[in-house]
Amino acid sequence: MALESISVIKLRDLLLVTVPPDPDDETISALQERVLQAMALYEARGLVLDISTVQTLDSFFARTVAETVQMVGLMGGRTVLAGMCASVAVTATQLGLTVGNALTALDVDRALDLLNAAPSGARCV
Amino acid sequence: MNEPHQGEFCITSENDIVMARKVVRDAATALGFGITDVTRIVTAASELTRNIYHYAKSGVMHWRSLNQDARVGLELTFEDSGPGIVDLEKAMEMGFSTGKGLGMGLPGVKRLMDELVIESTVGKGTTVVVRKWLKK
Ligand SMILES: Nc1ncnc2c1ncn2[C@@H]1O[C@H](COP(=O)(O)OP(=O)(O)OP(=O)(O)O)[C@@H](O)[C@H]1O
Ligand SMILES: [Mg+2]
Repeated sequence: MALESISVIKLRDLLLVTVPPDPDDETISALQERVLQAMALYEARGLVLDISTVQTLDSFFARTVAETVQMVGLMGGRTVLAGMCASVAVTATQLGLTVGNALTALDVDRALDLLNAAPSGARCV
Repeated sequence: MNEPHQGEFCITSENDIVMARKVVRDAATALGFGITDVTRIVTAASELTRNIYHYAKSGVMHWRSLNQDARVGLELTFEDSGPGIVDLEKAMEMGFSTGKGLGMGLPGVKRLMDELVIESTVGKGTTVVVRKWLKK
């Protein structure tokens, strides 16, 4: 049930992952695994994590996201967190959470623009 | 909103972390907390429930509405009969963890809530009480 609620969509050379509103720890761990598999399978150069419906971002979630960002980075990809709502941003900051080296964007459209405008280092011209 | 509302919730599995969040979200919303405070309270509950699940295996969360001196608030109590916390002062420090955590849970909860009281006895268990008051 939980695992089905994660969708990994391939958009050209990017991956779009929609995080469900109230994921349990198992779902979050599964999400990380599926993202890494998909990154390797599609040789994607970027990842957009759509967290616009997420209501609670606690320490486990933040830790797993930060870890995922780092792993995706090692695989040559960049991650953009898209759509964090204000109340979650306030709470996460107060809790002291960071999400590693993720880029952020207001929504998925802008996240895709960001990744398309900023290709990974090797492709810089 | 004059009669006190309360309830309790048993924490025995990982899925109960999500369930506890739902219970607390409903209680805080019903009391009239705004979305940002609801998010703060739910996130604090998530941290404390996970601590119980990870360190004590099981426990209970009680919640009740508070009505004191014309102030309205929500009180959450997390009780377990787990191993207890050896050094409470250390446990409240940012970055201290005996597990594989970031040690952010307890100090973070303290910042998110208005009041926090922890009592812990090694070998007996831990009780964490947190309160949030409705801003007028
Ligand atoms: N209910 C509990 N029973 C026993 N020990 C606890 C309990 N809650 C917390 N602790 C102890 O206090 C330490 C600090 O807890 P805290 O929630 O701040 O960080 P953490 O759980 O280690 O990491 P994080 O919450 O960032 O994932 C824990 O590592 C653990 O040793
Ligand atoms: Mg914790």
